[in-house]
Amino acid sequence: MEHVIVTEGLGKRYADGVDAVRDVSLTVRGAEIYGFLGPNGAGKTTTTAMLTTLLRPTYGRAEVAGLDVVRRPDAVRRRIGIVFQRSTADADLTGRENLELAAGLCSLSRAESRPRIRELLERMDLSEAADRRVRSYSGGMQRRLEVAVGTIQDPEILFLDEPTLGLDPQSRAGFWRYVRELRRKNGVTVFLTTHYLDEADALCDRLSIIDRGHLIASGTPAELKERRGDDTIEVTLAGEAPDLTAAFASVAGVRAVARDGAMYRLKCARGEALVTKVALAAQSREVEIARVVVRKPSLDEVFLEMTGRAYRAEGDPNGSAKGAPPGGARAG
Amino acid sequence: MWREFLTVVRREYLKWVRVPVWVSAYFVLPFVYLVLFGQAFNLNNLFPAGGGAAELRTALLGAPDYFSYFTAGIIGFVILTTSLYAGTGVLFDKQLGIQSRMSSTPAPRSALFAGSLVFRSMMAMLPCFLAIAFGLAFAHVPGLVGLTVNGSVSALGVGEIVLAAALLSLMFTALFLAFGYAVDTNESYFGVTSLLNLPLLFTSNAMFPQSTMPGWLQSISAYNPISLAVNVVRENLFATVGYPFGPGTYLLGLALWAAFLIGVALLVAARELRAK
Repeated sequence: MEHVIVTEGLGKRYADGVDAVRDVSLTVRGAEIYGFLGPNGAGKTTTTAMLTTLLRPTYGRAEVAGLDVVRRPDAVRRRIGIVFQRSTADADLTGRENLELAAGLCSLSRAESRPRIRELLERMDLSEAADRRVRSYSGGMQRRLEVAVGTIQDPEILFLDEPTLGLDPQSRAGFWRYVRELRRKNGVTVFLTTHYLDEADALCDRLSIIDRGHLIASGTPAELKERRGDDTIEVTLAGEAPDLTAAFASVAGVRAVARDGAMYRLKCARGEALVTKVALAAQSREVEIARVVVRKPSLDEVFLEMTGRAYRAEGDPNGSAKGAPPGGARAG
Repeated sequence: MWREFLTVVRREYLKWVRVPVWVSAYFVLPFVYLVLFGQAFNLNNLFPAGGGAAELRTALLGAPDYFSYFTAGIIGFVILTTSLYAGTGVLFDKQLGIQSRMSSTPAPRSALFAGSLVFRSMMAMLPCFLAIAFGLAFAHVPGLVGLTVNGSVSALGVGEIVLAAALLSLMFTALFLAFGYAVDTNESYFGVTSLLNLPLLFTSNAMFPQSTMPGWLQSISAYNPISLAVNVVRENLFATVGYPFGPGTYLLGLALWAAFLIGVALLVAARELRAK
């Protein structure tokens, strides 16, 4: 499959000698939703800024749509769209005016931009507010306008830098729907940075985890979860039952058993495959099972496992909208 | 290129008209200079007929009175004051992430710069024509001193005045835009501009006749672009005597200054709008 984003040993050192991004190599395939995951300050925004021609890599190289970002920045800019972490709309101008200006800077003619703007306003549910100044928009409306501005030139590749930061759950779900639709209908490749693990899990085909500038893992969400952290089979026995710890431990594939009253937690590689054997082990001792649940490790656990740090300790779960400005930004 | 340029001009225009304080400031400023400052600061009153009046008249190089001399010089004050804010827009765009948005578009960097330069220098220029209009009107208001034109003003002369104002606006707007691109904080911007503001004005002949200055200051004033522009205005409005050059020479000097400062500013802007 065609690779639309390729980086090799990409790195950025700021003037103060700090390497915000070190030796990042990744590939993103066409029409893929690719997640770039990490806590605040991990290097997400810096990487995005290099891929979108806003920052110059200190070392390594990056190609977007087959074009070198340093040597052919103009050609890259014609093919990408960016939704920045913070609103970049002019607050004194209306939503429609902001879109018209964005279209003009992308060299779209009036004839091209007018239907496009109408469509985007409708799609982003901003038609009614189109002629109001952005100053009066709610946070969610500003975010939707930002998405409309970012997709004004119908990009091949869309960069989303923490697009759902500070959105309520309903707006987040709506946003996810829109991203999936863009990919399905227009074949857009999406590069999404986020520090929400559930977002990466729900939305992305593949993802990378970056921590302190280093890429520490890549793969599909399922692969990552499988590679790190065991499944857990939770077995709850019915009625008065004898201690089955030894019986469960003797089942081939079970690595550890922990008992909590009538409930046993069994650690194993692939939970679904062992459920039958576990049930049989109980049955052979004539014990009835009340409940069996297979729990997959979440990306939170993957992150904990890989970095030795709890994810939420650094990430901000509620997501305040503050942070460094896009472009020259250090956050992310 | 053209479409992107016009887009930036339109953005500047929309931002300008949406802030009524700005718009009114443009109209109030020339009025304040002429009514509050110019009426009181009238050297003619210090030299009653006889003592020194003749010398003053000579120093004014043919202008009928000091207020008229001053009003012609106001083109320098007003353009300097109004273009001083050109860079603040760039600073805000930088801080609000709008500059990143614009840099991320395929628009040519020169169009982004040129759009701001052209609109803002036009806006910087307008109030000085208002000032001249006010000055002319004051001549008919009892109790106010006004601008007396004692030269024969031709259409070419008016064109020369407009050109001088345009070149002065362009070069100062370019200069202050460049500072806006180059510095990162409001503090350093206003530090730099307030450092430049008064020296630029006081080393020119906008307020004081050059012949009354010490020799070293005279040589600076002769090359100060404000002096060059003011010379063009005075030579056209008054029956002048004693100017070493005609308006054409001063316009040439202004054009060289403008080319130099716009060139430097374009380089600064291009560097700033490129990936760093």
